[in-house]
Amino acid sequence: MKLNAAPVNGKRSYKLMIVDDSNIMRRRIERSQQFEELELVGTAGNGEEALDLFRRTDPDVVTMDLTMPRMDGIECIGRLVELKPAVRILVISALADKATAVEAMEKGANGFLNKPFTDRQLNEAIAELMR
Amino acid sequence: MSVAGLERRRQLVTAGLGTALTLVMGLVLIVGFRLATHMRAEVTALQAASTLQTYPEEISHQLNTLRDRLEVRAYSGKALADLQETVKHFDQELKALDATRDVDSPQLGRALLLWHEYGPVLDPVVTFSGQPYLDTDSGGSNLSREGREHYAQVKRAQLFAADNAHALQAQLSSLASTLQQSASQAATRLRGLLAAGVLAALVLAAAAGYFQFTRARHERAARDAQEQTRDILKTVREGFFLLDANYRIGSVWSEALARMFGRSDFAGLSFEELLKNLVTPATLATATKYIKLLWGDRAHENLMKSINPLGQLEITMDNGHGSKETRYLQFDFHRVMGPEGIKHVLCSVGDITSSVLLARELQDQQENANQQLDMMLGMLHVDPLQLVSFLDTAETGLKLVNAILKEPARSDAEFRKKLTGLFRELHSIKGEASALNLKSIASRVHALEDMVSECKKRPELTGSDFLPLVLKLDELLAHLRSVREMAARLTDMKDSPVTAPAAVPAVPAAPAARTPAAAEAPRPRAVEDMTPTLQAMADRLAADHAKRFRLSMHGLADVPGPYNATIKDCLIQMLRNSAVHGVESPQVRRDSAKDEAGAVRVEFRRTADGYELLFEDDGAGIAVESLKAAAVKKQLISEEEASLLDTRSTMALIFRPGFSTQDDVSMDAGRGVGMDVVARSVYALGGKIGVSTHPGKYTRFKIVLPAVDSASSAVA
Amino acid sequence: MLYEQELKTFVEGTTNFFEVAAQQPASIGSPYLMEGTPSVHEYTGVINISGKREGVVYFTAPKAMLTVLLMKMQENDFSHETMRDLVGEVANTISGNARRDFGRDFVISVPSVLSGEKPAIPQKPGQRSFIIPINWRSHSAKLVVSLS
Repeated sequence: MKLNAAPVNGKRSYKLMIVDDSNIMRRRIERSQQFEELELVGTAGNGEEALDLFRRTDPDVVTMDLTMPRMDGIECIGRLVELKPAVRILVISALADKATAVEAMEKGANGFLNKPFTDRQLNEAIAELMR
Repeated sequence: MSVAGLERRRQLVTAGLGTALTLVMGLVLIVGFRLATHMRAEVTALQAASTLQTYPEEISHQLNTLRDRLEVRAYSGKALADLQETVKHFDQELKALDATRDVDSPQLGRALLLWHEYGPVLDPVVTFSGQPYLDTDSGGSNLSREGREHYAQVKRAQLFAADNAHALQAQLSSLASTLQQSASQAATRLRGLLAAGVLAALVLAAAAGYFQFTRARHERAARDAQEQTRDILKTVREGFFLLDANYRIGSVWSEALARMFGRSDFAGLSFEELLKNLVTPATLATATKYIKLLWGDRAHENLMKSINPLGQLEITMDNGHGSKETRYLQFDFHRVMGPEGIKHVLCSVGDITSSVLLARELQDQQENANQQLDMMLGMLHVDPLQLVSFLDTAETGLKLVNAILKEPARSDAEFRKKLTGLFRELHSIKGEASALNLKSIASRVHALEDMVSECKKRPELTGSDFLPLVLKLDELLAHLRSVREMAARLTDMKDSPVTAPAAVPAVPAAPAARTPAAAEAPRPRAVEDMTPTLQAMADRLAADHAKRFRLSMHGLADVPGPYNATIKDCLIQMLRNSAVHGVESPQVRRDSAKDEAGAVRVEFRRTADGYELLFEDDGAGIAVESLKAAAVKKQLISEEEASLLDTRSTMALIFRPGFSTQDDVSMDAGRGVGMDVVARSVYALGGKIGVSTHPGKYTRFKIVLPAVDSASSAVA
Repeated sequence: MLYEQELKTFVEGTTNFFEVAAQQPASIGSPYLMEGTPSVHEYTGVINISGKREGVVYFTAPKAMLTVLLMKMQENDFSHETMRDLVGEVANTISGNARRDFGRDFVISVPSVLSGEKPAIPQKPGQRSFIIPINWRSHSAKLVVSLS
């Protein structure tokens, strides 16, 4: 399962969307990820916003918070995968219980990262996600 | 290599060996048969050739005989018939030989050619059938015309034969020897072939034998391996099984599973069926989803491991005796990869019930212990009024403890500084609890004290070290509250007109007003007689330390409310001091011509500008030198300082924090806290304390307190 | 009665945030008890707990501390909203930790954020709270555990 994307300047480029109700977290993820091939197309603060943004920008990679107002992350993951089965979703959540993780994975997430996280943990999780 | 692969290879080899053996034997047979046929033909030909080589001579000979007969006009019929017979045989056999010979033989060709040349000369002779003679009466027989002609033909044939018989014979003889040679070669070939065939068969048989042997060995090894696997599966404590792509359990599983799940129909059972009825629907749903995820290739093994929801699965099942039992199982999953992706999921199950229960038990035990102590307390016969008074004092003390904790601290030194204060307060509460024989409280405070002592030993103190302390403090406060509830009930039961404060203080709906000080203030203080408490304490101390007391108390009813707690604290501390250090054992007292029961006198009285409390025992007194020695040992002062101290200053040592002359730690003394608490609370009230002693005779403490309205409150 | 492990879970959830997010561990100060409603700082992240235990756990921090924390996180937006965001994330982490450790016994709410000196924190009357000072650099915040 490889990501498909059009090559840009001879290099593959993937569109990234960040979903988190916290501004700090959104900026933190954007700033900390070190993948040149990831190009941020937008950030969203809740599930509904994310869905709308997704329809407009068609991202390849998504980081997803779970506890958010107006449609939580779990439901949002399901909707995104319906829209684009090949999308790669990394759940970034403070919820550390296993049932939540399984639920997210079952809905179509591809990775799981617990908050708080270090830059290294984030990059490892993204690398794993795009493998 | 897999067992199935080995078996298939073995079957192939067996079939190959069989085929090779059949082929070799068939080849040997076919070639041998052809060789033998060929050889038989050659032998026949050889025989024929050997016989034939005598014929040319015979023909020449018979022609000679015929000519002689004809010359002497003797009977020639018999000779002709012999010749005819010989020629016919020779011709037939030579042609037969030519027909049977499949290989070209030049000798035979040349023989046939020569024989062909015989034809024109020999044919007229052989075909003659007339009468050679004319019989006359006179002169016997004469040749007839045909006879003359016949004679001439015979003579010609005889001459031709004489010329050619030898050549013909030579050809035939040469043919015979060639055939002889060829036959012997064929015989050699046949022998060789047979030998080769036998050898090949032997080799194949040996190969088959070897193969059979190794196969038997492999089979034995495989059987051994199978047996070992079975033994492992039978004895291993973990449950092991494989799940296939339909989430069903394979046919091989370890027997521990049967014990864990109380069933043995695992083969073909789906994972969902295995857990159904054992776990809640929500857990079952999560577990099922997880198993499905395991089969997908979306998540790698580490991620899957990290989200394994079955790491500690609580299951409820019948224990076989009709009741339900809760067990904890730990599931682990490993993907087994094949060439085309995931082949199986290996699942191991451990029963971690005992360790989980142990952890729970520890928690429960703690809770149970609390409850049990509460019950024990209920059985105690403590005067409710005394109890309430104690609880007030204790709570005040604990609030002081909390106030010490509340002081912000970051450095080790700041944290360490708290310990001394904490210890002092706790010790004082413990003393009073012991006095009232409130073991459940005393033991808790004692435990808290222990924690403080433990902290002292730590090299680097942080807030984390204080977490257990504050928890214990919370528990102690909760315990005090429940004791208070109980006291209220006891009071109610005894229908006392003087009611103790309500157990759970009714708090107004607006929570903001309640601060520790505010909580303390509105509580009505009962006018209380502390005499019974002290008497009870004295009795207990006497029993604990195998001493006897005669306690006389005067004027304690006049102690004003604000001083009540402090005076009681001080008296308890001084009583303990007397019990441990002052009053001697009955034996010693008898030897010193004293009354066996030590006299302890307490007197409280009003003075012109306040109050005065006297406490006196007729015990051993305080020896200045042993006091100094103890202080040096405790490193409170140096030896040099000790030698410089006068009696008065030496006496003051007993009010120094951390001083105690008793070595072993008991509920009553020995922790170096006691008289310093007394001194501190007296100073806090704006009072003074003094001590006078006479070794072997008495120890007397005198406390002077100011009038109540000018006193500062210790409980603020 | 609160167990030590429970208290530790909340404390670790908090200190862990500082250590991971700002690469500078927080230490805990001298813990103490308090009856009634403790005072709070400008920003407070609250989680409600029900089930085996009932009550609230909250993290309350002064603006100055949050500002420095944001700086350490390489943020340059120090608006009111960002501050709220940050205490929310801390509470979120505490809540996640608690769910992991006591998910089976507790129902833990999604954190809510309060700001201002006198926010209304629902608290059971007569409830004693554990106050655990969280010291980080020169600043001090409070973790309040108020459960029964």
